[in-house]
Amino acid sequence: MRIDVDNLSFGYDYRTVLKNISFSLQSGDFLVLIGNNGSGKSTLVKCLLGINKVPERKIYLDGQDIHNFKDWLRVGYVPQKFDDFNYEFPITVNEILTVTKFSKVDNDQKLQLLDRMGILELQNENINELSGGQLQRVFITRALMNNPKLLILDEPTAGVDQENVIGFYRIVNDLNAEGVTIILVSHDTKGSKTNMSHIMNLDEGRGEYINVCDLDFQEESK
Amino acid sequence: MEEVLIATSFLRAIIERSFMQHALITGVLIGVLAPLVGSFVVIKRLSLIADTLSHFSLAGLSIGLFFINILGLPLGDPLYIGMVFAVIGALLIEALRSYYKNYKEISMPIVISLGTALSALFISLSGGFNTSIFNYLFGSILTVSRQFVYIIIVLTSVILVLVAAFYKQIVIISFDESYAKLLGIRVNLFQFFSTVILALIVSLSIETVGVLLVSSLMIIPVAAAMKVGKSFKSTVLIAILFSEISVLMGLWLSFIFSIPSGATIVLFNIIILLSVVISRKIIGTWLIKEKNPETMRSSLPHKKDAT
Repeated sequence: MRIDVDNLSFGYDYRTVLKNISFSLQSGDFLVLIGNNGSGKSTLVKCLLGINKVPERKIYLDGQDIHNFKDWLRVGYVPQKFDDFNYEFPITVNEILTVTKFSKVDNDQKLQLLDRMGILELQNENINELSGGQLQRVFITRALMNNPKLLILDEPTAGVDQENVIGFYRIVNDLNAEGVTIILVSHDTKGSKTNMSHIMNLDEGRGEYINVCDLDFQEESK
Repeated sequence: MEEVLIATSFLRAIIERSFMQHALITGVLIGVLAPLVGSFVVIKRLSLIADTLSHFSLAGLSIGLFFINILGLPLGDPLYIGMVFAVIGALLIEALRSYYKNYKEISMPIVISLGTALSALFISLSGGFNTSIFNYLFGSILTVSRQFVYIIIVLTSVILVLVAAFYKQIVIISFDESYAKLLGIRVNLFQFFSTVILALIVSLSIETVGVLLVSSLMIIPVAAAMKVGKSFKSTVLIAILFSEISVLMGLWLSFIFSIPSGATIVLFNIIILLSVVISRKIIGTWLIKEKNPETMRSSLPHKKDAT
């Protein structure tokens, strides 16, 4: 999915968080958003997801103003924390995935996704009995159920052990290689073994946007 | 032998007496609806909403009784005014929830207070407590009319069709409202209709167990099923099963001992909940013992240490 952000500023009440952000991503690009706590990373993500309402002619998804954009099923999102999910009431991995897919569920596709994420054997498990790493894989699988063209991941490896982090980035890199545009919010780039094509450092809401090809540490970060 | 006779007389009463048939149909249908809708209420942590709506519905019932009995207005059954008030209460809750975005729970005590105050005022104006008010407070399933049975059959059918048609959307909104918005679901619209439907179910359930006990029909079977079910569907089905057992046992016991049916149904629900909690404790301890007998033994206080 192509993304164009044109001179976007955004704030809450009297506090401006994002200041004059502009960038463009082509289908298959991989942007890593870095910055300190409170620099506006999650705010920018919420703007791109349509959760934060921005003025017209600021964000375009596949050439369409975000106000007119309808194809939200093709945008996958994995939140930083899963606090919004109401746990404790029993629901299986399979049930979560099935209700996320609005069109008829292709069982083979679902099983392939579960297998790829390494959670095939967990499909009938109650999610309340899963570990943090397993839950994260479930929510990534959920984000992939509608074959997204854009996948936004907000610090997805926070609190996940190193072994799972490596496996996770392998999956994200594979998806990106298949043409899915990725936006990854991260605290730093050194730990993330990604295919990133662009990096943006949000410092006090100002985006310093750099094509990774221009960076010296590209090899190091890969 | 005596038990067989009692059971036979209960069955004969159901076959021969229309009021028993009405009670049975109403009980069985409310037994499906209440835990079905109650499951979504519990997931969204809105368990107090049923109590709030039933108290607001009581305001409508009291106002209805005042207009019909004191002023002599031909308004029909006060139940319909109760239903209208339950829907008004639902709309008020929604309005207050969007007004106090970060303190959404404030809406419940405000609406419950208004409902209780209006009820107290109009009960007093209608000449204080009488049989009708007592029935509204504690339920009177044995007195439901044929017309009421038709209403509940229609409502049950409509709600079952709606739940089946929008099953995916309802489940996503209940479990993860933010993600539902992201998927482009019109969450506010669904929220509005589900609260209105909830209001209708609450006001109809008042006939079964009364204003004071109505939320128990929605919440207690679900609370018990949550500890037994392994998936969402199985939990909802177990909740409906618990609810039906309570309704049937409640009706039967109230028939045998001539005790209030609503209270008996609710108490049977509580018995099931307690049985689930206690049996889970026992099974849990037994499983730990089976798996780690050594751990269990070492964790027990030694007599020597105790002295």
